[in-house]
Amino acid sequence: MSGGTERREEVVRIVLGALESLNEELDESARVNIGPTTPLFGPDAQLDSLSLVSVIVDVETALTIQWNLPISLTDDRAMSREISPFDDVATLTDYILELLQEISPEQPPVTAH
Amino acid sequence: MHTYSGKTALVTGATRGVGKVIAEHFLAGGASVIGFARGEASLGGEAYRHVQLDLADPAAIQKAFLGLHGQVSSIDIVVNNAAVLTSQYAMIMPPAAAQAMVNVNLLAPFMVSREAAKFMRKTKWGRIINIGSMAASLEPMGDSVYAATKAGLSTLANVMAKEFGPMNVTCNTLGITAIDSDMLSQLPREKIEAIIAGLPVPRFATADDILNVIDFFAAEASSYITAQTVFLGGVN
Repeated sequence: MSGGTERREEVVRIVLGALESLNEELDESARVNIGPTTPLFGPDAQLDSLSLVSVIVDVETALTIQWNLPISLTDDRAMSREISPFDDVATLTDYILELLQEISPEQPPVTAH
Repeated sequence: MHTYSGKTALVTGATRGVGKVIAEHFLAGGASVIGFARGEASLGGEAYRHVQLDLADPAAIQKAFLGLHGQVSSIDIVVNNAAVLTSQYAMIMPPAAAQAMVNVNLLAPFMVSREAAKFMRKTKWGRIINIGSMAASLEPMGDSVYAATKAGLSTLANVMAKEFGPMNVTCNTLGITAIDSDMLSQLPREKIEAIIAGLPVPRFATADDILNVIDFFAAEASSYITAQTVFLGGVN
């Protein structure tokens, strides 16, 4: 398996893990259907704004610990994109991979799972 | 003695003055204490962890919290105490001094609170206490920026109280009056004494006056007390 594929899988695992953590906090009726195309933001999203913040915080924290680098997902660049990185799990994953490629092109995660 | 056994408290400006008093109080109550300060540690012991950083630098604060991941399992109480004061008429206030007050007195509490809240949301418990000042209410001449930053602390706490409320995290502000400290020495003594003389309780604050409200805000029983500013000495 290539390094790029491994990194993508790791990032997807982190994003889905954040959604699973969110579901643990929500009432059963409010839980989000989790998958690689789960909408995060916009008219189709099941998350309210505070839930999205929780997911972003969990993802940032996990990425920061994994790569031992402070990683912000909500800087001006993310907010000004025509296609929001927060549309769904796939767009967020792509954006994170883009950030990681810029700040840490070769570095593997600090901890292995 | 209020017990803080099992709690971890983070105090900014913990090397001297009010911050040191508060850090010592938490340690005496059985807490683990993380001190954030520009200077070297003035407290010791196994329960005390010192982080030397420039609180005026948001990136340094984020880096400090990054260092705490894996080192501490929780941050339960935050006291945003660190502050800088330059008292000068507005027309001759050096812009750099004004910027430093905004950075340390307002931006740093924002950064520390938000990073600590990421720990608190995991444990679903937290107490954020900002150390405000009577200057926010009395608005003395020469303290335009200082008073504005301290007034801003209350607003900061009030908005964060709404955002963090669902996480069982309370956010409050303690507006202290004058206590003999290094910061006070930067002001003319007669100016301070004139202000104190005009208070409903015309005396300087003591450490116990401050710790009494800290204990109140930090208490388990104060989970329904949030977005409040308490002034000492009758300031309102």
